Amino acid sequence: MKPEPNSHLQALSQAIVQGLVDEAGPLAEKALDAGLKPLQVIEQACVPAIEEVGRLWEAGDYFLPELIAGAEAMKAAMTVLQEALKSSGQSLKSAGRVVIGTVEGDIHDIGKNMVASMLRASGFEVIDLGADVKVERFVETAEREKADIIALSALLTTTMLNQKRVVELLVSRGLKDRFKVMVGGAPVTEKFAREIGADGYGESAVQAVSVARNLLSGRGGKHD
Amino acid sequence: MFDIKKLTEKQVFLLDGAMGTELFRAGLPPGHCPESWNEERPEEVAGIHRSYYEAGSLAVLTNSFGGNALKLAGYGLESRTYELNFKAAQLARSVCPEGRYVGGSIGPTGKFLKPVGDLTEDQLLEAFRPQVEGLAAGGVDFLLIETQYDLRESLAALRAAREACSLPVLVTMTFNLTRRGYFTIMGVSPETFIRTMEENTVEAFGANCTLSPADMIGLIKTLRSLSSRPLIAQANAGQPQVGPDGSTFYELGPGEYADFIPELIEAGARVIGGCCGTSPEYIKKIAEKISSFFDKIN
Repeated sequence: MKPEPNSHLQALSQAIVQGLVDEAGPLAEKALDAGLKPLQVIEQACVPAIEEVGRLWEAGDYFLPELIAGAEAMKAAMTVLQEALKSSGQSLKSAGRVVIGTVEGDIHDIGKNMVASMLRASGFEVIDLGADVKVERFVETAEREKADIIALSALLTTTMLNQKRVVELLVSRGLKDRFKVMVGGAPVTEKFAREIGADGYGESAVQAVSVARNLLSGRGGKHD
Repeated sequence: MFDIKKLTEKQVFLLDGAMGTELFRAGLPPGHCPESWNEERPEEVAGIHRSYYEAGSLAVLTNSFGGNALKLAGYGLESRTYELNFKAAQLARSVCPEGRYVGGSIGPTGKFLKPVGDLTEDQLLEAFRPQVEGLAAGGVDFLLIETQYDLRESLAALRAAREACSLPVLVTMTFNLTRRGYFTIMGVSPETFIRTMEENTVEAFGANCTLSPADMIGLIKTLRSLSSRPLIAQANAGQPQVGPDGSTFYELGPGEYADFIPELIEAGARVIGGCCGTSPEYIKKIAEKISSFFDKIN
């Protein structure tokens, strides 16, 4: 590879890692102007960059502001790159379609927003239902939107049981095999996730991405 | 006159435990605004305060944790901010025994300042102002700005408090134990926290929520090495668990929780209370530990 395109990739990657929201889009455009293919830019700059953001978060070097800034910068770059893909008649294969929300009775949405940001930054299509979402609404939206995953957040010991109610409703409507359910939130544990019959549990927004990927691996990725 | 320095000179000042779970136990439906019970079910709220006083709390915190205008807006109640806080203070006051105190609870808005979120500092001030005014008019002895994670938001609440009244203000932030030590979710370190609190002459400060008593002891040691002011510690009752019948509870029982108290005092905590998972029963056990701790050293 010529040194010049490489430096474009590096600059974009750094902008994402450093959360430079205003610079990421223009840097993505520059990379395209230098002749790089959109997919190459995504795979060689964006994806490694957001993974680095996740690594720094898990190491305790990054906190919420840096994580959100990284995800926002990623989004800005991806907007440019997806546009370029579209105009060349291609489209990016979605990593999967996720319906996410905080369960009924619970208005905490910080954690859920972090997970939604990281999933979007990692190539998932995310339908965010917000907070205090009724059990039925998760299931009905997932059906209508042909989602792959239902992601449930709960911050209270009193509301985490509503995660269980979503799983139960899926079972009673015979839909349990159609959607993967992942759960998270401060009081939620891996053990709880298993006990209520959820398919995945993520301790952090970063973990949530790998959990979502693992859940869909071997499913050919998407709603096809 | 509430003087936290004097109150903690020769003793530990005991706060109360969790309010939210007690409200749910009393029948608050999930999704219902807890502060609205100050008007709808005052006897339940007062009853919880009373049981904390009976358990040995020297002060209880009003049922106003989510009583800022931004959080109340989630229930369409933002125009009632002043009244709901006024009522919260009055209720606690009405059952406060002679010689005990009432603290006005001020929790976070749950929204983020720019650039992480859309909020401005002015919006935060506007959200906290009617809350502070209501609490002060309702008769609290001090304010506790608690469970904070963003220093800027804590300072906005502090500013609202200082502008609206002359009550003493205490502040707690919520720290996580990361691979690199204790930080709030926004990345506030114990050093930054202490420096900011001392610069702003906050009378007493410390940490609450998230941490178990064991991890709280470690954090209080760190804070003590940085400050000589009275430190507040309100740990959770460990991690939440789910029982075989599907009910949720916390891993540490009242006795197990109280066993950590002597070490917490030795670490430097002078204002102690419970957080998630604790109840009047925990406070009773903690009160016993505190008094036997001071019997031993005196």
